[in-house]
Amino acid sequence: MSVIKYESAVRGPLIDGTKDYHQITEDILKPIETTPSKLWKIGFTIAVLLLIFGVYSVYREVTYGIGEWNINKTIGWGWDITNFVWWVGIGHAGTLISAILLLFRQGWRTGVNRAAEAMTIFAVICAGQFPIFHMGRVWMAFFVMPYPNTRGPLWVNFTSPLLWDVFAISTYFTVSLLFWYSGLLPDFATIRDRAKIKWRKRFYGVAAFGWTGSTKHWQRFESLSLVLAGLSTPLVLSVHTIVSFDFATSVIPGWHTTIFPPYFVAGAVFSGFAMVQSLMIITRKVLNLQEYITMEHIEVMNKVIVLTGSIVGIAYITELFMAWYSQNPYEGYAFYYSRANLFSPYGWSYWGMMACNVISPQIFWFRKLRRNLTVTFFMSVLINVGMWFERFVIIVTSLYRDYLPSSWSYYYSPSTWEIGFYLGTFGLFFTCFFLFAKWFPVIAIAEVKSILKKSGNKYKNEELRHELENDSIEEFTKKFSHH
Amino acid sequence: MATYSNTFEQSAGNKKWGTILTGIGILTLLAGIGLLGFSGDEHSKTRFWAGLLQNSVYFLLVVNAAMFFLCATTLGFAGFTISFRRVAEAISTLVPVFGVLALVVLLAIVFTDQTHIYHWMDTVTRENDKIILGKSGFLSKPFFVIWTIVAVGGWTIFGAKMRKISREADDTAMDTETAKKWLFKNSVHASLFIVCFGLTVASTIPWFWLMSIDAHWYSTMYSWYVFASTFVAGMALIALYIIYLKNQGHLPFTTKEHLHDIGKFMFAFSIFWTYLWFSQFMLIWYANIPEETEYFRIRMHGEYRGLFWLNLILNFVTPFLLLMKANAKRNYTIVTFAAVVIIFGHWLDFYLMVAPSTMKAHGSIGWFEIGVAIGYVGLIILLVGRGLSKSPLVPMHHPLLKESIIHHT
Repeated sequence: MSVIKYESAVRGPLIDGTKDYHQITEDILKPIETTPSKLWKIGFTIAVLLLIFGVYSVYREVTYGIGEWNINKTIGWGWDITNFVWWVGIGHAGTLISAILLLFRQGWRTGVNRAAEAMTIFAVICAGQFPIFHMGRVWMAFFVMPYPNTRGPLWVNFTSPLLWDVFAISTYFTVSLLFWYSGLLPDFATIRDRAKIKWRKRFYGVAAFGWTGSTKHWQRFESLSLVLAGLSTPLVLSVHTIVSFDFATSVIPGWHTTIFPPYFVAGAVFSGFAMVQSLMIITRKVLNLQEYITMEHIEVMNKVIVLTGSIVGIAYITELFMAWYSQNPYEGYAFYYSRANLFSPYGWSYWGMMACNVISPQIFWFRKLRRNLTVTFFMSVLINVGMWFERFVIIVTSLYRDYLPSSWSYYYSPSTWEIGFYLGTFGLFFTCFFLFAKWFPVIAIAEVKSILKKSGNKYKNEELRHELENDSIEEFTKKFSHH
Repeated sequence: MATYSNTFEQSAGNKKWGTILTGIGILTLLAGIGLLGFSGDEHSKTRFWAGLLQNSVYFLLVVNAAMFFLCATTLGFAGFTISFRRVAEAISTLVPVFGVLALVVLLAIVFTDQTHIYHWMDTVTRENDKIILGKSGFLSKPFFVIWTIVAVGGWTIFGAKMRKISREADDTAMDTETAKKWLFKNSVHASLFIVCFGLTVASTIPWFWLMSIDAHWYSTMYSWYVFASTFVAGMALIALYIIYLKNQGHLPFTTKEHLHDIGKFMFAFSIFWTYLWFSQFMLIWYANIPEETEYFRIRMHGEYRGLFWLNLILNFVTPFLLLMKANAKRNYTIVTFAAVVIIFGHWLDFYLMVAPSTMKAHGSIGWFEIGVAIGYVGLIILLVGRGLSKSPLVPMHHPLLKESIIHHT
C-alpha cells in the first residue's frame, strides 16, 4: 500500500496555515502551558457565580420542599423536566461526532470531537440534576436503583420509561466518558513528555495511564475506539428515544404519538450541533484555534443543522396534521387550541419553537450564510432557544388543561428558584467547560495529526498533490496499486 | 491493471431472463384480470387490486430509493460512491416506468371505486362515518390523484436532471474550479430532489397510498417507517447489481471496500428499520388505545400471525446476524444472500401493510402476488440492464473518482 495520501483538490483544507506536526502540538497545548488569559478568568468567575446561585436555589428546594417551585398538580413537570430534556438533547452531538462520524471516516470530526465530547459529558451531568431534584426527597434518590433490598418487595417499576431513563442515561454517560477519556490518553502523554514543571509531569503522567505511544498501544487504541464507536452508535439513538418514551407511552394528547423516538433523536442532534457551534465559535477565537476549527468545520456543521432542523420540521408538521387527521377531539384540542393558536395562553411558545427550529435554519441552504460566523453564532443560540421552547411546548401545553376542567391550572411561570436552578446548570456547565479548556487539550492532537497529510493546507498545496490531481486515472491507479 | 470495458452490453442471458420473468408477470396479470379482477367474487377482486397495489408501490419506492441514495451522498459530499454511482443511476431510471405503472394502478383503484382497498372512497361510508367525513379534506379523490401525479412527476424530473448532470463527467476533464462549480450544481439539484422526497416519501405519499387503507387508523411514524423499509431494500438492490457487474468483469474501481460500505448501509438500515418498527409497535402496544391497537390486532393474531413474526426474522434477525462481521460484508455470497432476503423481506412487509386490512381473513400469498412480483423482477433485470448500457459505467472525469478508487474502509 502506498504511503501517499490523497484527497480531491475540490475539498477545502481542514487544517489551515502551514502547520506541521510540531506546530500542531504547540498550538493546541498553548493554553495548558501558559497562564490563563484575563478573558478566561472573567468567564470562569461568572460561571462559578452562576453555579453558586444554582446551588443556593437547589438548597432552597431541598430544604423547604418542592413548593419552592411553581409546578403544581396539573403541571407536574415544568421547567425542571423541560431543562432536563433540553440538556440531554444537547448531549447528543458529542457522541454522534465521535462515534458515528468515526464509523463514517469523516476527517473533519477531528477538529471538534474532543470539545464536543466534553460538552456531551457536562451536558449530561447538568441534565441529570433535574430529575434527581425533581424527586423532592432527594435523599431517597437511590431508590431508582434496582437491587434486592430491605424495603420488602419494593422494587423499581421496570415497566416505567422513567426507570429506562435511568439505565439509558447512565449507560450513555459511562460510555461517553470512556470514549472521551481513552481518546485523551495519547494527548495526556504528550503533555507529560513536554512538561517542564514537576507537578504537571506527575499529574499528566498519572492521567496518561503509562501511555508510551508504542505500536502495540496504538493498535489497542484503534480497536478500542472502534469498539466504543460501535457501542455508542446505538446509544446516540437510544437515549433520546427513551426520553421520548417518557412522553409517548402515555395517553396524554400531544404526547402519545409514534413519531416521537426518531423525531426526538433528530431534535437532539440538532440542538447538540447548535451548542457545538456556539462553543466552538467562541473557543476558536479565545484560544486562537481558527486554523484548526476552520470555516469548513463550521459549514459542515451548519449542513447537519439544516438537515436535522428540516427533519424536525417534517415531524412537527406530521404531528400537527395527524392531530387533525385522527379526528380525535383531544388531540385536536392539544394541537389546535393549546399550541398552534397564537392567542392561547402558551401559543407564543409553539410559534417561537416553529420560528427558531424550522423556519430560521432554512437559511443554511445557502453556502454564503453557512460560512458566515456572525450568522452562525446567532443561529446557534436561536436554535437552542427554540429547542428549549419545543420541550416547554410538549410538557406544559399538554399538561396545563387535563381531562378534568376543575383541575386546569392557572398560568404557569417559574419561581426564582426554578430559574435559579436552570441558571445554576449553566454555571455548572461552563465551570466544567472553562476548566476543560484550561487543563485539557480542546482539540484531539493525535487525531488532528492523523489527517494533516491528507487534509492539511500545506500538504494539499504540495507539488506531489498537484501531480496526483492531474494524473490520468491509469497513472493514478498505478501509483496506488498494491505491489 | 487488466483491461476492462467501461461500457455495459446487456447480455443475451440477461435479456432472456428479463423477458421470461416479465412474461410471467404479464401472464399473471392477464390471468389475474380474468380470474380475479373481473370476478364477481368480492374477495377475488380485492385480492387483485391489493396485490397490484402492494407490488407497484413497493417496487417504485425501492427504485426511487436509489436516487435518494445518490442525492443524499451528493449533499454529503461523499467520494466513495463515485466508482459505482452509475449503478444507482441505472436503477433510478426505472422510476418513470414504475411510476407510470403505479399511477395506472392507483388511478384505476380510485376511478373504478375499489372501496375494499380505500374504503374512505365509499360515499355511503362517508355520509355515515363522522371520522371519515372529517378527514375528507385530505382523503379526497382529486387530492389523492393530483398529489400522486405531482410526486411521481417530481421524482422523475429531478432524478432525470441528476442523471443528466452526471453525464457531464464522462468526456472532458475538469480543472479544480470547474469541478467545484459542477459539484455545486450537483448539490443544488440533489437538494431539490431531497426536498421533494421529504414532502412526499417521508410524509404525505405513504399516508395516501398505504396508511389510508386503514382509514380510521393513524400513526405519525408511518411514513418514516415506509421510507426505512424501501431504503434498505434499495441499498440491497444496489449491492446485488454491484456484485453482478463485478462478476461480469466490470466496475474495475469498485472493490470489496465499497461493497463493505454498502453492506454497512444494509446492516445499519436494517437495524434502523427495526428501531422504527419497534418504536411504532411498542408505543401503540403500551398505550393500548383501541383505535390504534386494531392495526396490530389483525396482524398479530389470526391469519397473519406467522407472517408478522417472519417479517421480523427476515428483516431484522437475518441481516443482523449475517452482516454483523466485517468479513461477511466483503463476501459476495453472503451479501447476495442477505440482499435477496432483505428485498423479499420488505416486499413481505408491504404485503402486511396492504393485505390484512383489505383482505381481512381471506388474505394469502399465492400465484397472483408472487407472479406480479416476478414480473417486476423481470422488468428490473431488463430495464436496469438497459439503463446500464446507456452510459459509461464509471464517470471517468468525476472530480471525486480518485477518492473512490483509493477508498478503503
